[in-house]
Amino acid sequence: MNNVTKKSRAVIVGGVRTPFVKSFGVFMEMDTIALGATVVKELLKKYPIPWKEINSLVWGGVILPTGAAANIGREIVFDSGIPPTVDAITITRVCTSGLNAITLAAAAIERGEADVIIAGGSDSTSNTEVVMPKNLVYKAAPVVMSAKSTMKDYFQLLWSLNLPDDIIPKRPSIRERTTGELMGEAAEKMAIRNNITRIEQDKFALQSHKRAAKAIETGRFAKEVIPVDTPNGNRVYVDNIVRGDTTIEKLSKLSPAFSKNGTLTAGNSSSLTDGACAVLVMNEEKAKSLGFTPLAAFRSWSYGAVDPRDQLLIGPAFSMPDALIKAGMSLKDIDLIDVHEAFAAQVLSVIKMIGDDEFAKQRLNLEKAFGIINPEDINVHGGSIALGHPFAATGARMALTMANEFKISNKATALLGICGAGGVSAAAVLEAV
Amino acid sequence: MTDFLVEIGKNDIAKKLIKSMGIPLSLPKDLKRDKMEWQEHPILDLPVIFGSIKGSDLTIPVAQSFARMGANTWVFQNEKIFQTFVNQGSPWGRTPEILDDKIIAKIKPHAIVFDATEINALDDLSLVHEFFHKLIPKLNNCGRAIILARKPMEIYDPIKAGAIHALEGFMRSMGREIGKNGSTTQLIYVDKGSENRLEPVLRFFMSYRSSYISGQSLHVTSKVITDNSPSFIRPIDGKVALVTGAARGIGAEISKSLSREGANVICMDLGGEGEHLSKLSDELCATPLICDITDKNSHNIILDFILKRFDGIDIIIHNAGITRDKTLAKMDKSLWDKTLDVNLISLVRINEALKPHIKKDGRIICMSSVTGIAGNIGQTNYSTSKAGIIGYVKALSLDLREKGVSVNAIAPGFIETQMTAKIPFMTREAARRLCNLSQGGLPYDVAELVTFLSSPGAYGITGEVIRVCGGSFIGA
Repeated sequence: MNNVTKKSRAVIVGGVRTPFVKSFGVFMEMDTIALGATVVKELLKKYPIPWKEINSLVWGGVILPTGAAANIGREIVFDSGIPPTVDAITITRVCTSGLNAITLAAAAIERGEADVIIAGGSDSTSNTEVVMPKNLVYKAAPVVMSAKSTMKDYFQLLWSLNLPDDIIPKRPSIRERTTGELMGEAAEKMAIRNNITRIEQDKFALQSHKRAAKAIETGRFAKEVIPVDTPNGNRVYVDNIVRGDTTIEKLSKLSPAFSKNGTLTAGNSSSLTDGACAVLVMNEEKAKSLGFTPLAAFRSWSYGAVDPRDQLLIGPAFSMPDALIKAGMSLKDIDLIDVHEAFAAQVLSVIKMIGDDEFAKQRLNLEKAFGIINPEDINVHGGSIALGHPFAATGARMALTMANEFKISNKATALLGICGAGGVSAAAVLEAV
Repeated sequence: MTDFLVEIGKNDIAKKLIKSMGIPLSLPKDLKRDKMEWQEHPILDLPVIFGSIKGSDLTIPVAQSFARMGANTWVFQNEKIFQTFVNQGSPWGRTPEILDDKIIAKIKPHAIVFDATEINALDDLSLVHEFFHKLIPKLNNCGRAIILARKPMEIYDPIKAGAIHALEGFMRSMGREIGKNGSTTQLIYVDKGSENRLEPVLRFFMSYRSSYISGQSLHVTSKVITDNSPSFIRPIDGKVALVTGAARGIGAEISKSLSREGANVICMDLGGEGEHLSKLSDELCATPLICDITDKNSHNIILDFILKRFDGIDIIIHNAGITRDKTLAKMDKSLWDKTLDVNLISLVRINEALKPHIKKDGRIICMSSVTGIAGNIGQTNYSTSKAGIIGYVKALSLDLREKGVSVNAIAPGFIETQMTAKIPFMTREAARRLCNLSQGGLPYDVAELVTFLSSPGAYGITGEVIRVCGGSFIGA
């Protein structure tokens, strides 16, 4: 891979994803690496490319199996059987990691550093390291790790434990390190501050479920979802969080999940999920010479961050307009909009602000807003509320679904937006090739 | 140097004990003080109430400021003003609520702000009464009560002038009452056309950085001519600041505060303070400068030093000062001369020498004293020097306004320092308690005001004398 000097567009050639399933379910025995390796193997089956052409692998991951390896991308190279000389890096930028991996790959290709890159992300929230209670570690470690400990020391250790507090691990949760706030609590605040009602959220959640269910039924997702064989012999074909039979009545009966009088429920929030997604990114010329048909290319992308103490998940309201500006486009030029659904409240807050003239004036230094976005105009095949949200796989899933959608429904452009923990955000404009 | 009553006040058991023993002792509140760097949202998620006589030129700037500061706003009674707050607040996810009696019963506002800009008749004062009468009992501890008004350059209408000036008396008395809760009050006059210069001022006076400033009236104007805009995070990044008398006490705290917000500080003091000075400079990555300001050549030494290391100066803090107390009859020439030389004559000499080298949008801040305003037994020399500073600052501010430079004086009241620790116990106790907040201030309180006045956001304030005195009973 020497002497690549000509600048060429990076294109998405295709991709696959595993079914997205509820955590602590059928994928429980597969950690982030195993899910990644599975999806990469399947990608290479579906897109048979001479392996010597693969330059590197760029992988997104959030729940990293501590102790196993830090650079999980590299482990995925080993476990998926591609040559060990293929380089790999791991990008972890919370929920935007998957998209970030793809744009890093595109940037490397467009800079002439590579021609063929496997990019994507995986996450197994089932395999979150359960942290041992601090007291247990402090009491047990000196005894267990010392060569001089006697039986007496072990008895004393057992005697010193406060049961059950010292030995029962705390349930892991997604808390902001700076504010100590659960992500749902932050989204609950956003619902109040942006006047997003319970019914609006439930309606949006319903739309997500209905559309995702339809995409499954009609075989639309068969274009990108591959069956996965699990270590204990199950074959998993389909996303299992989607509830096509849910109704607004059922959703409105659910009790608030994060605050007593809140509006966020398990029904209008995304849930903990296991899954993986991989796409093949190539230099356009290279793709054609290898006989592939490019699907999509990036017009622009934009990464940003907001103060997590204010509105944790509002970032896409800044990044999405910024990506449009960078692409030299306006909302009218966009055929498809896909916004990651961490919570219905967060999506609705973001699109409300993008359509708000005062927001454009005061916060984006624009004369007026890009235009109104209606909730029914976005996420044609549903989103994370229905499909689930394996953190680092989500961004790649969105890019892949939009890339496929261009051909299927004869569309030309798509705008993506993703929010993430710590107040980060990502957006991108994809165009059909 | 700690105030024992404030310490007792922090202890719930001791507080109960005092109460149950029937000791008529009101314990001063432990004031909240923000020790962090400046924040984008200085009053994040704190409840704030806004009321007004009627809509004014200030409505939109205030609505925007509140939203940007991160406040949750309640609007008092007026539907039209409420709508303005909705429009301005929504992009920040900070739409207000209208304040009704039900909410009043529940709410503990951090700040209550009243816009009296449109006060025209004496009858309008009853609206001021209604607002504060209802809400002042609700104000949270260490809260803020702020009145906004317009001070016409020349008041042709004596009735209107009466109504406006009435606010001063009202504000001062209110300050006396709420001080026991650690709350403060200010009256801010905003000139027509200077509305957009109000936000930085509100940010400071509504935050926990102005905890020991109360009962002040100050004037926001467009006298300083600049196209610079304020920044609210790391406001003085890369600015060069000279602090005299920097080794200890207030000077050291000022150096720390300026340095925390990004300034390159030159810490200057006498040779005898060398050890303190080098320790402080190391800690702050500041530049130490040993120089005696009373040295007749000191201005040249300072100027050479600055021009050799930097390309000019942005911020000058004249903090060095001494006391040599004796009643007038016993005050000999040496005590008089020494005090005037350090506090006034040398200050002016150095400032005049540095003046041509102060950069565009620079800041000059001189340390005056409440004594310079009110006078004090045994301090004719000190009061003379400190009052002289006020006159100098006021005239100098007009001189430099076209260069974008603002010039202000700070008049500290009783501040807990090594200097005041030497005052005999009973005198010290009296001095501490004779203010709204019933306690002394900390060097921090002076330093935070200095940093605010050094920031670009202080472009609306020049030629002012601001007291950091906890609402002192003297010299008001």
